[in-house]
Amino acid sequence: MDTDPREYEKIVVNENDIHKIVQSYLIHHCFRDTLESFLACIGVKPSVENSEDMDRRKRIFHFALDGNASKAIELTNEYAPGLLEENKDLHFDILSLQFVEFVCTRKIEEALAFAQSKFTPFGKDQKYVAKLEDFMALLAYEEPEKSPMFHLLSSDHRHQVAENLNRAILAHTKQPGYSAMERLIQQTTVVKQCLSQECFKDGNEPFSLKDFLK
Amino acid sequence: MGGVEDDEPPTKRVKVFSGDSRVHSCNISAIDQGGSSLSDSMARLLTSQEDDDIVGTKGVIKKTELIRIIAEALYSLGYSKSGARLEEESGIPLHSGLVDLFMKQILDGHWDESLATLHEMDLMDDKIIKLASFVILEQKFFELLDGKKIMDALKTLRADIAPLCVNNDRVRELSYSILNLSLEMSDDRVSGQEMRLKSRKELLEELQKLLPPTVIIPENRLVHLVEQALDLQRDACRYHNSSVGEMSLLTDHQCGKDHIPCQTHQSSVFYVVCIGAGHSEMMLDCCLVLHEHGDEVWFVQFSRNGKYLASSSGNCIVIIWEVMADEQVCVRHRLTGHQRPVSYITWSPDDRQILTCGTEEVVRRWDVVSGECLRIYEKSGLGLVSCGWAADGQSVFSGVSDKSICMWDTEGKEMECWKGQKTIRIADMGVTKDGKELITVCKETSILLFEWERNSEKFIEEDQIITSFTVSDDRKFLLVSLLNEELHLWNIDGVPKVISKYKGHKRSRFVVRSCFGGLDEAFIGSGSEDSQVYIWHRVSGELILTLGGHSGAVNCVSWNPTNPHMLASGSDDRTIRIWGLNRMDSSAAAAAAVSACSSSSSTAASNDHTNGVANGCNGKTL
Repeated sequence: MDTDPREYEKIVVNENDIHKIVQSYLIHHCFRDTLESFLACIGVKPSVENSEDMDRRKRIFHFALDGNASKAIELTNEYAPGLLEENKDLHFDILSLQFVEFVCTRKIEEALAFAQSKFTPFGKDQKYVAKLEDFMALLAYEEPEKSPMFHLLSSDHRHQVAENLNRAILAHTKQPGYSAMERLIQQTTVVKQCLSQECFKDGNEPFSLKDFLK
Repeated sequence: MGGVEDDEPPTKRVKVFSGDSRVHSCNISAIDQGGSSLSDSMARLLTSQEDDDIVGTKGVIKKTELIRIIAEALYSLGYSKSGARLEEESGIPLHSGLVDLFMKQILDGHWDESLATLHEMDLMDDKIIKLASFVILEQKFFELLDGKKIMDALKTLRADIAPLCVNNDRVRELSYSILNLSLEMSDDRVSGQEMRLKSRKELLEELQKLLPPTVIIPENRLVHLVEQALDLQRDACRYHNSSVGEMSLLTDHQCGKDHIPCQTHQSSVFYVVCIGAGHSEMMLDCCLVLHEHGDEVWFVQFSRNGKYLASSSGNCIVIIWEVMADEQVCVRHRLTGHQRPVSYITWSPDDRQILTCGTEEVVRRWDVVSGECLRIYEKSGLGLVSCGWAADGQSVFSGVSDKSICMWDTEGKEMECWKGQKTIRIADMGVTKDGKELITVCKETSILLFEWERNSEKFIEEDQIITSFTVSDDRKFLLVSLLNEELHLWNIDGVPKVISKYKGHKRSRFVVRSCFGGLDEAFIGSGSEDSQVYIWHRVSGELILTLGGHSGAVNCVSWNPTNPHMLASGSDDRTIRIWGLNRMDSSAAAAAAVSACSSSSSTAASNDHTNGVANGCNGKTL
């Protein structure tokens, strides 16, 4: 069921709403400079807290992405104390980033020492055992990139963890965990898919945003 | 196990003795090179080469192998001096020098050297080499961990173990176990294989199993072969019906017919002695013949604990007999009440009650101890044709003349009724092992396995009309009796299939029933219209015995489940015969006969001379 594009013309979109959407996106991803330019263009004063918050999160995010987990943890504890204690999964994920960093730079002894001091508390909890086994197994291979656990070394994995950390911090500081843009796209996709299922369209293609925006 | 050829590719020969230049079976005598039609074994007999020395008359035992397993047996038994002496005298070492070195290196913990020796062994199979190396290195790893040399252990893991690319899951576990050291408190978290340190001896045993048997003789090989032979002897024994009597290595095991019940015994009232010359088992012809029914005996069935026998006759009477300690059988209760002859009796799972089913009449439930009728199950306007107990003894099933199956609780309340083509007028009903399926004959040539809880059906199709069936004690087998005088044995554990067929008995007009019986239900018994009881050996299908004595068609047989030496048969000649072992030889029997008789006047008691004189103690002549 494809809506006639002329239907769209009937809906009036508020400029302010659009500004808010753009802002939320920029804030979420810590694009401070861009945000300041944008706000200047639309004639809104930037808020100081916002800027500071973005700065901090940006640093934490990049440390995490680079695998410098100890710095990321230090800053997180400073900015959002208690966050990691509450969020054991996240804590484990970040520690594992550091571990992976050791492994990749072939610092085996440090990796082992790190594992023994940091990972052991997690070992008591049954649900982390499988993950621990995965990471520890990396130690067994002289070329971890070629081991069965190579996916743990990928940048995708690091990105995912850094994102999770960012979201957790946002939640902790009472900000929305998802940018409005993201949510809107998700909403549209789900609704479109529901509708096409209901109309029993033959050859149910999943909603493609790209096609839609053409 | 086979010879050298089994594990290796055919083009190469494994050099079992590294120091030796001898290579098996490549040396063929001149006689053979021309004769390609000669079989291998013939060739070996003709050669006089030492390598292919054969022991025994069948040409299948290689001398070197025999000596080696004997030497291994001597060492295993602790006679190392004798073992060494044998090796020396025969010139055949148990293991090659290389293997001896290997074993020593393992026990001493010289891992790297042992790995080198392993590679020298010329094993041909890469996979085995890798597996064995893995196991050895694993031991090295654990011993290092145990000695707190963690980095060394890790190095071994990284440099030696992981590159083998064998058993990655185990590598994971080993890696984790390094961390686990710090988590000493909890053992229950260890997943998969054990993480404890094996002893070196255990390691050696494991390696012995991994490496091919030609390299290292498996432990206790000779004992294993002997046990195998005894198993085969026992399986082949047609009359094996006693657990009493150990098998000896000194002679082949062979039970005589005297382990199968083939005699009807003396009852103390009727004592008939019939002594003939000759020494066959049929020396004595005594009778334990039960006359109490007074009409054609249609059905007999022992209880599960073998202490009771239930029987029914054409005059609508059911008798419960008690089997006494001295194998006498006495009447316990006469149960009256049925208006039609009882065609089927079944014992409850705890043997305290029986269900009797009149021919298209009612089903009655009786208490065995008191003889009281506890309940009558009936359906108005219809007749019940068969009956069965649920596995927990709390409900009763019955086939109905309108082809449905009904289920009642112990109070007599009807709980369920399944309609449709569920059962025809055949009185047998069975229950499968898990208690979930009922077995009935639903069409002329089909048996229904009815899972009543889920209302699902499975069928066993026969190619002939079915007249009756019986289920084995372990509920894994079904014995089906067919119109064409054949018995088919079905395995119903899993996908049903026919395993054996038994023939020989006669059945043309009546329902003739059969049973499983003997030690481990190794025999099949059946009645027959020619007045005999037929007994087959179950596994081989061979008819091993026919028992004569009845003077009318034998309708039903039942083998005592707890006494493999007691069989009951019910016949149209109005008697039940209890068959037992022929335990006595002629002279002892005669003596016993004399002493058991109250009046000696009319007894012919001398052995060996008289022929076929039948006399009763109380003067009756039969």
